[in-house]
Amino acid sequence: MTHFSSIRPFFALLCVVAAVVSVGCTKKGKDLEITVPGQGKLTLPHKETLRVRIETEPPSIDWHKATDTTSALVTENLMDGLVGYDFSKPEPDVAPALAEKWRSKDNRVWTFTLRQGVVWSDGQPFGPQHVVDGFKRLLNPMTASEYAYFLYPLKNARAFAEGKLKDFAQVGVRVTGPNEVTVELDKPMSYFPFLLTHHSTFPVRQDVIDKHGDRWTEPANIVTIGPFRLKLWEHDKQLVMERNDAYYGVKPQLKYLVGLIIQEASTAINLFESGRVDALNSLPAQQIRELKKRKEFKAVGNLTIQYYGFNIEKKPMDNVKIRQAIAHAIDRQEIVNVLAGGQIPMTSFVPVGMFGYEAGRGRTFNIEKAKGLLKEAGYDDPTKIKIEFRSNQNENHQLIAENIQAQLKRNLGVSMEIKNEEWKVFLNTVKVDPPPMYRFGWQGDYPDPDNFLNLMTSYSENNRTRWKNKKYDDLIEKAATESDRERRRQIYAEAQKMLVEDDVPLVPLYTGVSHHMIAERVENYPVNILARYRYNEVRVK
Amino acid sequence: MPISVPTLNPNDPLPEGVDAAGPVSAPARSLWSDGFRRLRKNRAAVVSGIFILFICLMAAFADVVAPYSFETQNIDEMLQGPSAKHWFGTDSLGRDLLSRVIYGARMSMSVGVLTAIVSLLIGGIYGAISGWVGGRVDAAMMRAIDILQAVPELLLLILVMVVFNSVDVFESPELKALTGIFLALSIVGWVGLARIVRGQVMQVKQSLYVEAAQALGAKGRVVLFRHIFPNILGPIIVVLTFQIPSNVLFESFLSFIGLGLQPPFSSWGVLCNDGWKAKTDPHLIIFPGLALYLTMLAFNLLGDGLRDAFDPKMKNR
Amino acid sequence: MSLSHQQYALIGRVLAWGLAALLAVAIGLDLADYEIPGALRLALVGWGFAAVSFAIIRQNMLAYVTKRLVEAALVVWVIATLTFLLLRFIPGGPFDTEKALPPEVKANIEAKYGLNDPLTKQYADFIVGAVQGDLGESYKYIGRSVSDIIGESLPVSAQLGFYSMLLAFAIGIPLGVFAASKHNTWLDTGAMFAAISGVALPSFVIGPLLVTVFSFGVPFAFLHGTLPPALWESSVYYVLPVLTLGMRPAAIIARLTRSSVLEVIQSDFVRTAKAKGVAHLTLLYKHVLKNSLIPVLTISGPLVAGILSGSFVIEIIFAIPGMGKHLVQSVTNRDYPLILGVTLVYAVLLVIANLIVDILYTVVDPRIKLT
Repeated sequence: MTHFSSIRPFFALLCVVAAVVSVGCTKKGKDLEITVPGQGKLTLPHKETLRVRIETEPPSIDWHKATDTTSALVTENLMDGLVGYDFSKPEPDVAPALAEKWRSKDNRVWTFTLRQGVVWSDGQPFGPQHVVDGFKRLLNPMTASEYAYFLYPLKNARAFAEGKLKDFAQVGVRVTGPNEVTVELDKPMSYFPFLLTHHSTFPVRQDVIDKHGDRWTEPANIVTIGPFRLKLWEHDKQLVMERNDAYYGVKPQLKYLVGLIIQEASTAINLFESGRVDALNSLPAQQIRELKKRKEFKAVGNLTIQYYGFNIEKKPMDNVKIRQAIAHAIDRQEIVNVLAGGQIPMTSFVPVGMFGYEAGRGRTFNIEKAKGLLKEAGYDDPTKIKIEFRSNQNENHQLIAENIQAQLKRNLGVSMEIKNEEWKVFLNTVKVDPPPMYRFGWQGDYPDPDNFLNLMTSYSENNRTRWKNKKYDDLIEKAATESDRERRRQIYAEAQKMLVEDDVPLVPLYTGVSHHMIAERVENYPVNILARYRYNEVRVK
Repeated sequence: MPISVPTLNPNDPLPEGVDAAGPVSAPARSLWSDGFRRLRKNRAAVVSGIFILFICLMAAFADVVAPYSFETQNIDEMLQGPSAKHWFGTDSLGRDLLSRVIYGARMSMSVGVLTAIVSLLIGGIYGAISGWVGGRVDAAMMRAIDILQAVPELLLLILVMVVFNSVDVFESPELKALTGIFLALSIVGWVGLARIVRGQVMQVKQSLYVEAAQALGAKGRVVLFRHIFPNILGPIIVVLTFQIPSNVLFESFLSFIGLGLQPPFSSWGVLCNDGWKAKTDPHLIIFPGLALYLTMLAFNLLGDGLRDAFDPKMKNR
Repeated sequence: MSLSHQQYALIGRVLAWGLAALLAVAIGLDLADYEIPGALRLALVGWGFAAVSFAIIRQNMLAYVTKRLVEAALVVWVIATLTFLLLRFIPGGPFDTEKALPPEVKANIEAKYGLNDPLTKQYADFIVGAVQGDLGESYKYIGRSVSDIIGESLPVSAQLGFYSMLLAFAIGIPLGVFAASKHNTWLDTGAMFAAISGVALPSFVIGPLLVTVFSFGVPFAFLHGTLPPALWESSVYYVLPVLTLGMRPAAIIARLTRSSVLEVIQSDFVRTAKAKGVAHLTLLYKHVLKNSLIPVLTISGPLVAGILSGSFVIEIIFAIPGMGKHLVQSVTNRDYPLILGVTLVYAVLLVIANLIVDILYTVVDPRIKLT
C-alpha cells in the first residue's frame, strides 16, 4: 500500500501537524518542579525540601484504615494524636501532644485536657468532639478498620464494633467539657495513653468524610492538623507535603517534604547515590556490609522480634523437650553475623530497648544441653528427627532459614526441610494448619510488653502455636491492670519464663535494626526505636 | 492465528521442499544428512554444541566436578572474593560459589530441558491436532489458548506451587524442590509451542506432496507420520533450542518474584537473583551471570545453526 | 461503493501517512518534554480508528472483524470468569495479614466488600459492574477505584511499552537485514551475537548493569551521570528502562528478520530480479524486506503481550509508576477487584493487538484473505 520512496508528502504533513500542535504546548516538569492540579506549577527549593524514599504506594493515608509503615509515615506527619512520644529517655515514654495533660485515679477512667487554640488545616478550631468522632469512626463496623481492636479496652467498645450495640453513647468515651474528653475503660490499664499515640486513634473531621466519602484523603479534600499538609499525591510516584505554618508544636524547618515511592531497595540506593533522594529508612540487606562503613549510615534498633514458632500439636514438636532442645541448639550470634546489620541476638520475646526486657531470659545456645534434652525426649539418634519448616521467600528470611537448617544439622544432626510459600499462601497455612515450625515476626505498635506477650494468649489470633495456657492468660491480664510498675515487671517476667523457658511454643531469634542512609545536608533526622518518622525538626542545607 | 494460509496460485513458484520432478514421498532422510553436513560447516553452532555438551556433563557429574558441597556453610569464610581456595569466591553463608554454580547448572538445565520436552509434548500434540483437523475445532482450540495466555500466569503458578507443597510425591529433596517449578513452567510454556506446531502442520498440510499423497489414497495417519512429522521435526528441534533458554530465564523471574526454587538448592536463576543487588560483592553476580549468559548464547547460536541447516526452505544454499 | 481503485489507494495513503505524521509529532513532543495536548491525543485516536476502519472496509473484512470481535468478547468473558474462580481457589485472602485480625474485625471488612455474599452473587455483581465499566474499589488501596488505578498507571506503561516496541523494530529490523545481507560472514555472526546477548540474561540483571555503566560510570568514568538511574520524569529518564525492556523484542525481531530475509533472498523472484540487475540495496529494502515482514508481524502480537508482562521487572527496577507492577502485585496482595481489572485490560489489549496484527497482514500481503 505504501512505498518507501514516496516520503515527501509525509514530511509535508508532519510540518503542518507540528506547526498546529506546537502552539500552546507546555513544558513538562523537571526534577524539582511539580504541577499541582488547579494551582499550576510549584518549584520546590532545594534548600528547603527533604526527599525521603517511601517503600510502597501508601495503601491508605486514612489514619483509621492505614496498617502499614509507609502509610504511617505519611499520616504521622500530617496528623497528631492526643498523646505523642518523648524519645529522650532510654525507654521511650509518652508526651503531651493534642492533649495538654491527662489524669486518672484508678487507671480506668481517664480524663484528657485538650490543648487550646489548635486549628485544622481548613481553619476550623480543634475540639473534643473530633476525638470522639475519631474513636467512633474507628470502632464503627461500617468503617471496617483493621485496627478497630485498638480501642477494645473502652467500655462497650467491642460490642459496638461487633455490631451488637447500636448506640455509641454507651461506649466509654464522651465530651466532658469544652476542652475535655473522658474515657472509661472496662478494666484498669496503666499503659492506656500509649494507645493514643497510634494513628488509628487520631481525631478526625467527620464532616469532611461525610462530604467526600472514601476520596477524602485526596489532597484537595483532606483536612489535617499536623506539622505538614498534603499538597500533591501522584499515585505510585510521589507525595508532596507542605509546611503547616499554623502548626501548634515545633514548626517545621522544611518547606516541603517529598515522599518518593521507590519499591526496590537497591534502586533507592542508586537514587541516593545520585543525589535524587536525601534519606532512606531501610536498605538492601546485601549492601549493608558495605554501606555501614559510610558516614551517611545510621542504624538504630527497633521494636521488632523475629521468631520461629512451633505447632505443638504436630510431631515432633508435640514433645516439649525437643522444643527446648531446639531453643538451645540455635546460635543466634551466628545468624546475626550472617545478617551483618547489627541486629541483636534475642532469647527472650520482649525485645531489648523497652520496659519489660530482661537480659538473660530464655534458653541460650548450648549444644550439650540440647543433646541431653533430645536424649531425655527419647531420641538416641537425632538424625532420625525431621522437621518441616515453612516460610515465605524473602532475602533475609531465606538466609536465616538456610543458616538454621545448617546449624541444626551441624549441632544436633536434626534435618530441617524448608518449604517456601508465597506470602499470602503462607499466612493462610499458619492460620489454618500451622506446620511444625515456621517463621514469624512482630513489630511493636507501642513500647509496652503487653503488646508483645499478649500475642501468645490462648485467645489471640496471632498465637499460631496451638499452645494454650490458662495461667499465662491470667498473668497477662493481671499485668495489664496492675498499676505498680515494678510489680508489672515481675508478672511479665513470670509470663515470659513460661513462654521462652518452660513450654517453649516459640524460639526468639533476634531483634531488628532500622538502617538508614541520610545525606550529609540533612540535620536532625529522626531515628528512633519506634521507627516513627516525624520530620518537623529536620533541617537541610 | 486465524489466518487461512494463502491458496497456491499455479503461477507461483513451487512450495519449498518440493522439486517439480521429485518423488512424491518427502525426502526426509536426505534432508537430515544434508542438514548435518551444513551444520558442521557452521563453526559457531559447533562450538556452541560442544559447550552445551560440556555444561550438561558438568551438571550430570556435579558431585564429582564440584570442589565442595553446595550447601556446606562456613561462616568464617563468608562473602570472600575469588581465591585459590574458592575460585568463584563464597556467598553470604560462606558457601563455595563455584560449587553452587556447578550444582546450579544441574537444576537450571533440568528445568530448562525437561520443561521444554514436556511443553513440547503437550503443545505438540495440541498444536498438531488443531492444525491437522482445522476448521471449527481449530478455531475453538486456538481460542482456548488465547484464554490461557491472558489468565494471569501468576495465579496458575501459585496454585501449582501450593498443590505441590502439600503433596509429597518424591522422597528425594532435590526432586521435590524441582517439581513445583517444573510443573509451573510446563503449564505456561506449552502454549507458545502449540501455536508454532499448529502453524507448521498447517503449512505442510497445504503443500503439494501431502496433497499428492492424499490424492494417491494414503490414509490420514500415514500422511501424518510419514510426511508431516519428518518435515516439521527440524523446525521443532530449533524451537526447542529456543525454548530451553527461555525456560531457564523464566525460572530466574520466578526467583525474582519470590517463587523460586526451594532452598538450599541453587539454580542460576536463584544465584542471579541473590547476586544482582550485591553491588559491593560483584563476584556474586559476575560468575553465575556469566555461566547463564554463555549457556544462553550457546543455545541460541546452536538454534540458529540448526534452523539454517534443517529448515527445508534453506535447502538451495 | 463507487470509488475507483486509484481513489481508494489515495485515501489509504493519506490515512496511513497522516497517522504516521500525527504519531511522529506526538513522539517528538513527548521526547522534547512537552505535554501532549488533548486535541492531539484525540486526533491520534480518531485517525487511528479511521485508518483501521478503512483497511477493514477496503479489504472486505467487516464480517470477519465483527466475527472476531464477538469471539473476543466471549474470550474476555471466559478469562474473567476463569480468573474469578481461580482467585477463590488460591489460599490466602486479601485480609490475611501478618498481624492477624480478630474474627469480628475481619467479618466487618468482608461484609463491607461483599465477600460474605454467596459466590454466585459476587460473580453476578462483578460481571454486571464490569459490563457497565465499573470494576469496583481496590481492597488494598483504600479509596481508589480500580478504574482510577488503571487510568493512572496504564498510560505510563503504554508509553514505556510503545517506546520499547519502537526501539525493538528500529534496531531489530535493520540489524536482521544487515546480518542476512552479510550472511555467513563474521559481520553476520557479530550482529547475531549482539542480538542474542539481549535475550541471554534476565532483565533484572541487564537493567542494573546498564545503570552501573550509564549512571555511575563503571567502568567508563566519562559516562558517569549520563543518564538517571531510575524514576520517570522526562525523556532522559526513558532511555534506560526502554533499552532494558526493548532489548528482548529487538533480539527476537532481528533474528526473525534475518531468517526470513534469507528465505526471501533464496526465492525465485529475487533471483530473477538480481538477474535483471536491480541494485542491491533497492532490492534488499524494497522487495526483500517487504516480503519478509510477515513473520515479524506474526510475532509482534505475542511480543506486545511479552512487553506488557515484562514491564513488571522494569517498573520495579526503575521505580516507574506503571501498570505492569499491578499485574503481579495485585496477585500477591490478593486484591481481587484489581486483579480482575488488570486481567481484563490485559486480555482486551492482547485481543486487540492480535486483531490489528491480523488486519495488517492483509495490508502487507494482499494474497492473504481473512475469513
